[in-house]
Amino acid sequence: MGNYITTVAVNIAVFSLLALSLNIIIGYAGQSMMGHAAFFGIGAYTAAILTNKGISFWLALLASLIVSGALGAILGIISLRLRDDFLAITTIGINFVMVALFQNMKFFGGSLGMAVKPLTMFGKKATPMHFLIMLLILIFLVCMLIRKMNSSWFGLALASLRGDEGAAQSFGVNTNQYKILAFIIGTSIAGLTGGVYAHRMTFIFSSSFAFIVSISIISMVVVGGVGTIRGPLVGAILLGAAPELLRFADDYRMILYGGVIVLMMRFQPQGLLGENSFLMNKFNQYINPLLKRKGGEFNA
Amino acid sequence: MLLQQILNGIMIGSVYALTAMGATLIYGILRILDIANAGAYVAGAYFGWFIYLKTGNLVLAFLFSMMITGLIGVLIHRFIYAPILSKPRILPIVPLVASVGLFTLTGDLARLIAGPGTKAYNVDFGVDVINIGKLTVVPAWILIIVLTALLFTVLWLVLNKTKLGLAWRATAEDADIAKAVGINTNSAMALSYILGYGFAAAAGIMVGILYNSITPALGEVPSYKMLSIIVLGGLGSPVGTVIAGLFIGMVETMLSAYNLTFIPKDSVAFIVLILVLLIKPSGLISKTNNI
Amino acid sequence: MREIVKVEGLKMYFGGLKAIDNLDMSIYEHETLGIIGPNGAGKTTLFNTICGVYKPTGGKVIFNGQEVQGSPPYEIARKGIARTFQISKPLHDLTILDNVIAASGIHEYTGIRSFFKKSHTKEVLEKVHAILELVGLSHIADKKAREVSLGYLRRLEIARVLATDPQLIMLDEPCAGLSNYAINEITELILKLKSQGKTIVLIEHNLPITMKVCDRILVLNYGQKIAEGTPEEVQHNKKVIEAYLGEEDED
Repeated sequence: MGNYITTVAVNIAVFSLLALSLNIIIGYAGQSMMGHAAFFGIGAYTAAILTNKGISFWLALLASLIVSGALGAILGIISLRLRDDFLAITTIGINFVMVALFQNMKFFGGSLGMAVKPLTMFGKKATPMHFLIMLLILIFLVCMLIRKMNSSWFGLALASLRGDEGAAQSFGVNTNQYKILAFIIGTSIAGLTGGVYAHRMTFIFSSSFAFIVSISIISMVVVGGVGTIRGPLVGAILLGAAPELLRFADDYRMILYGGVIVLMMRFQPQGLLGENSFLMNKFNQYINPLLKRKGGEFNA
Repeated sequence: MLLQQILNGIMIGSVYALTAMGATLIYGILRILDIANAGAYVAGAYFGWFIYLKTGNLVLAFLFSMMITGLIGVLIHRFIYAPILSKPRILPIVPLVASVGLFTLTGDLARLIAGPGTKAYNVDFGVDVINIGKLTVVPAWILIIVLTALLFTVLWLVLNKTKLGLAWRATAEDADIAKAVGINTNSAMALSYILGYGFAAAAGIMVGILYNSITPALGEVPSYKMLSIIVLGGLGSPVGTVIAGLFIGMVETMLSAYNLTFIPKDSVAFIVLILVLLIKPSGLISKTNNI
Repeated sequence: MREIVKVEGLKMYFGGLKAIDNLDMSIYEHETLGIIGPNGAGKTTLFNTICGVYKPTGGKVIFNGQEVQGSPPYEIARKGIARTFQISKPLHDLTILDNVIAASGIHEYTGIRSFFKKSHTKEVLEKVHAILELVGLSHIADKKAREVSLGYLRRLEIARVLATDPQLIMLDEPCAGLSNYAINEITELILKLKSQGKTIVLIEHNLPITMKVCDRILVLNYGQKIAEGTPEEVQHNKKVIEAYLGEEDED
């Protein structure tokens, strides 16, 4: 694989993880999280600071996960006091404040950014391919985790919380507890991703974790399809590859980006591959029966 | 010195209040956070710049820019937000995401049409500065404070003394009941957009004049600062928005005047917001007390 | 008969408004108790206070000998008090089946541990299908809740209540807004539950139904109990006629 393609693939893989993890909070638990990139950044800076201090990469990754998850838990606790709209704005605010801290505190390298000690793997400096494989393994694990969640009582608790808090409580769901848990799971995965990202980049800037990055992640989730596994993955691939594919039309990139988002929200708010979306309905109508019939014959 | 800073704070604060007012009016009726309001601010600044360039008449620039932007707002509501809101909500943030898309679109359209660079916004007031005792006042400041006061007076009169304003207040109170008693909620929504986007346009022109420049990225800071102001103002309360806008303007001015900022002044609004929400989750000014 | 709920001096004030004022009442095992009263009498507030949605201003709610007032709703639900909502609260994007399965998990929502326990097991599915059969929702089990009519949503509310294996079932106006045909079906369903020996508290505006279904009726007005007794006794109570039936005539 060419170096350029690997680089693009790593970028898409990073955003796939971010979109999958954000989807746990907004798609499954139904909480208006608008500042996911802040937790991506918290993970990145945590890992960077620790490996620069000589701590091993794997321990640093674990720390990224824990620190982001712990701050996510605090956000979860705050969210209990806030209605939807207030939560959306508060998370936007947290994103801006975190970026301001990264940018202005010496501890985080200030506006010059922060160099990260390069990772060595098998005695050599890690290549983009190493990171791609690492990220693909993580994506696989996170997808498994979400599948497991969806077939468990935990998944039903989140679905109830998203559907109607009053109803959920009437059949025994402690909605506060599950809100916090959803925030912890989502933000800790974002933090872990940040840890890997920091070592892939070997140099991190506050702008990589800005609000606009949160918007990109949200766009991937909603364009692909909320509350599904395929949605965030397809969204990350489409929107992650779009800037590369649209290089010939560089001038119109953001217009297309904005336009696609507006049109999606207007005509397919469930996303391209969300439940009941145009594409999924067509799929269920034409392709699914074919697959099923084939399977039947095979079994017979 | 202190008086100078207070005046400065009032001026910045009135621009904030004016920018955020559209978002407040729209939230009051539709219960959505319309970040695209900051797009209206950019569009308005460019319209105003173009008209002033062609005619040299500042009054025309303000009037036409506000009208055009307001009408665009009505169209955006009619063809984008209304259909989104009429469907069952998949996620509470769907309209918010749509508005972010719209905002991105506006900024980039401005860049494509007018070019990516900074445009000078030279408005000749005849004098450079006015000295009143120890006070140094730039004519643009007077323009901003007077015009904002005028616009807010108009808003107050419309909301409190006209039938349309009554429809707005009734719809803001409870849209379903308002509809049931025969109030035209659609006209209330149109009013929100005409006034809201119009005000944002005026604020855009003011900032253009104040800093003598406009760029396609003009709306980035207001897009989020506006959000914290409307929440501090109690989401949907016009009076609260004015107070919150002035408050944030004043805090920012004072902190930077006396070198008290350890973080950039543009995050002050959000730090205040987060602190306030932690103490009082319903915002600084509770909506029930204000219209 | 065993007393399963005892309410003592219950008060629920909202500012100056006394929505429930010094209310004493009992609910006995296997009975069907109707709660009636004019609009704003405090019926739904009483439900919400017993079920933990509101923290009472004063007084006690004793369930199976244990004080439960002030506990959060999910804890009260786990203890065995199940309620329906006047305005149906379905989980719109789940199927009818999953709505009921979610409710049947009442004792499974243990936080992080619930991650490791499968929800759609054979036993759960068997139990839930039996409930859907009972309430007459089997034929639309795979439909999304958002796609079904109000009549079905009301039955879904009852199905969810049954799925929690409650000791006490509280129904908040299960017939409101339904057609006569649908009302009859819900009434039949309540009678079926009653014949199974379930303990039921019913808020209902439709007086003939309340009279037909209930063993005992409690009348509320302005948050206070103004009468209590068999349907006949209540029907002939002067205070009740004044407070309740008088208002009906004005309409």
